[in-house]
Amino acid sequence: VSLLELAARIRRIGRIAEPPAPAPALHPAAQVFAGSVQLRHVDAGSCNGCEIEIAAAFGPVYDAERYGARLVASPRHADAVLVTGPVTRNMATALRRTREAVPEPRMVIAFGDCACDGGVFTDSYAVVGPVSSVVPVDLQVPGCPPGPQDLVAAVRTLTGR
Amino acid sequence: VNPAGAGFAVALGLGAAGAVAGCLAPAGRRAVVVGVATAGCGVAAVAAGLAGMSGQGWALWLPQLLPLTGLRLAIDPLGGLFIALTGAVTVCAAVFGIGYTRGHVALCGRVPQAVFPLFVTSLLLVPAAAGVGTLLVAWESMALCSTLLVLTEHRRGPQVISAGRWYAVMTHLSLVALLLGMVGFATAAGGDSYSALRDAHLSGAGASAVFVTTLVGFTTKAGLVPLHVWLPRAHPEAPAHVSVLMSAAMVTTGVYGVVRVGLDLLGGGPGWWWLAVLCLGLVSALYGVLQACVAGDLKRLLACSTTENMGLAVVGVGAAGFLRAQGAGHLAGLALTAAFLHLVAHAAVKTVLFAAAGSVAQATGTRDLDEMGGLAARMPVTGTLFAVGALGACALPLGAGFPGEWLLLQALVHALPVGGTATAVVVPVAVAVIALTAGLATVAFVKAFGVGFLARPRSPGAAGASEADPIASAGLVLGGGVCVLLAVWPGLVVDRLSDAVASAGVPAASMDGAGLMLRLQVVSGSFGPLLLAVSVVAASGAAAVAVRFMHGGRVRRRARLWDCGAGAPTARMQYTATAFAEPLQRIFEDVLRPDADLEVAPHAESAYYLQRVAYRLKVPDRVEERLYRPVLNTVRRVGVASRRLADGRVHRYLSYGFLAFTGLLIGLAVTR
Repeated sequence: VSLLELAARIRRIGRIAEPPAPAPALHPAAQVFAGSVQLRHVDAGSCNGCEIEIAAAFGPVYDAERYGARLVASPRHADAVLVTGPVTRNMATALRRTREAVPEPRMVIAFGDCACDGGVFTDSYAVVGPVSSVVPVDLQVPGCPPGPQDLVAAVRTLTGR
Repeated sequence: VNPAGAGFAVALGLGAAGAVAGCLAPAGRRAVVVGVATAGCGVAAVAAGLAGMSGQGWALWLPQLLPLTGLRLAIDPLGGLFIALTGAVTVCAAVFGIGYTRGHVALCGRVPQAVFPLFVTSLLLVPAAAGVGTLLVAWESMALCSTLLVLTEHRRGPQVISAGRWYAVMTHLSLVALLLGMVGFATAAGGDSYSALRDAHLSGAGASAVFVTTLVGFTTKAGLVPLHVWLPRAHPEAPAHVSVLMSAAMVTTGVYGVVRVGLDLLGGGPGWWWLAVLCLGLVSALYGVLQACVAGDLKRLLACSTTENMGLAVVGVGAAGFLRAQGAGHLAGLALTAAFLHLVAHAAVKTVLFAAAGSVAQATGTRDLDEMGGLAARMPVTGTLFAVGALGACALPLGAGFPGEWLLLQALVHALPVGGTATAVVVPVAVAVIALTAGLATVAFVKAFGVGFLARPRSPGAAGASEADPIASAGLVLGGGVCVLLAVWPGLVVDRLSDAVASAGVPAASMDGAGLMLRLQVVSGSFGPLLLAVSVVAASGAAAVAVRFMHGGRVRRRARLWDCGAGAPTARMQYTATAFAEPLQRIFEDVLRPDADLEVAPHAESAYYLQRVAYRLKVPDRVEERLYRPVLNTVRRVGVASRRLADGRVHRYLSYGFLAFTGLLIGLAVTR
């Protein structure tokens, strides 16, 4: 396909994205982020179901980035930590340090049932507990796993867009 | 009273007094007494040199003092420049030496303390000599004194003795070449004094023979490729205050010699001489800086950088001679001014760097860059001054080395319209090589400062380092001050160089350096280092203030280093000097031919598990491997073979005597 054909196709098809739902109410603690929230994802012991949904949320179909949220590679660049899975014993320190490494003001999002309350891994010998038992949680997204649309809705409450 | 003569006499007197004090003073006070006397000698030499540079000439002939020729001394502007340079280096080296040597048994011994002022005196006599005999005596005493000083710490290990041996052989090679060339010159001219040599107007094959022979002698002393092999050995092993004198002052006598004999006494000569000199300089500059980039020993790195800088100065000298032979005198003056300015800047920079390296070696107990690190926090004064020196050695703006290289490039860039095939070929190559050299020098000194002084200490020695002796640091501060002055106000020196250039037989390049800007008048070019410095300082200050204001009311929090949730990084994870130079070493693999050896020992039960990995890397000096080893091996073979001549039997020895005697008689009978 040549560049000209591509341009013609883009013009012919036009905008096919659905119009976004009206912006939700802004989370009070997220006011300071001014519509741009950088997320650092930490897998604290997840089964990888939530990871697939996160990947989908930031893919071309749901495109969470258009609401001002972005996944970043280091907590030093982040505004919020996005935690999935119950916190296993091996990951408890790493999670604590990751949150410490995020500049203030910062938020923690617990994504998925395991992160919110331990899910099916509650009382497992390998698990410390839900995320809130290790670091304070500001926002919970329940579901096993929560869909991409749930993540998009959650980050929109942080960006307000 | 002639100020040049009086100053020089005082300098020589103080040097001699220092030597006597070195022998007689009690061990506890020896370092201070000798250091003060030598520093005074340096101050007097600076005064004498400056007087000589401003045209107040001085000459002296003492026919009784040396057999056959007598002692001839004279200070003209060219000699004055080198006397002033040596004197200034001496002041810093002597002050640094007090702090560096006191309290050290080996460094405070009678011999090293007494020879140090003698070395300075002989260094001052070389540019002041006005006759072949005087020059050769001064040259040899300089060689002897420096050899003794290199061997000061001979108890430290066999490498010191080996360095001393290499140095002794090379420096005497220099003397032999000089002896042949200069005595031949004096014979052809029919006189010993420089004025007689000048008036002889030697030309043709005789002049070329003199020039090439003395060039070998002088470039050996200047440490140019392929006669540089003593330099990376002797400079690291010598005590730091001696290294300072050797690297900042002694090697410049080689360049002085080329200028004196080639441009002044021989009156310029044909263009090919200077083309050869220029190419020698280019090769040395490039090879020296490459060796500096891959050197792991801090003082070896500095020594290789000396080869590089002498190469650049010799490029300037070669360009000056070549352009003069081509009839472009005004550009020749510019090139020679650039060479002199570069020598002065290099002297200041190397004084600081070698002295700082000495302080570091003393504080950490190692010269290996891979075992240093974190010294900027532990030795703040030494670290800051090393940074000043390293910036100067980088040939970047705001560094002491920049104005000289800028002038050199100006001379070369404007030389293209001079015309001629040689110009069209050599000038672009020279400009490219100088640019490449400048870039590589930056790599070498970023490595030296970054790996040596920043980050975390890599060895217990570096971790336990503390600031150097305050007097040693005072010597460093003196040198650092000169570096900064040269960087921001090169006009101060440039204005005083015109007489020296003129007395080398090259028309002085008129330029205006008195103001803040350095304006060239022969070609269009100007450059304002002080304005540049002020604007950089102002811009950084403004940026710092702006950051302070713009960060608003945000709270600053000290957080743990982000280590990806794993354990904290260790000092072993830092870049080492070897690792930093590795990409460069790969690029120049065909030139450097590094000798890397990777040894992997797998586990006995499975080849997939490693028991031990050993990696050894050696970057040998290729010139040495290819040029010197075969010669040395041949000499060794001949020596071993000739042992059979001396098998210990008295009869045989008697028969040798008998045969030689009868052979001589027969020879005489036949020929007479």
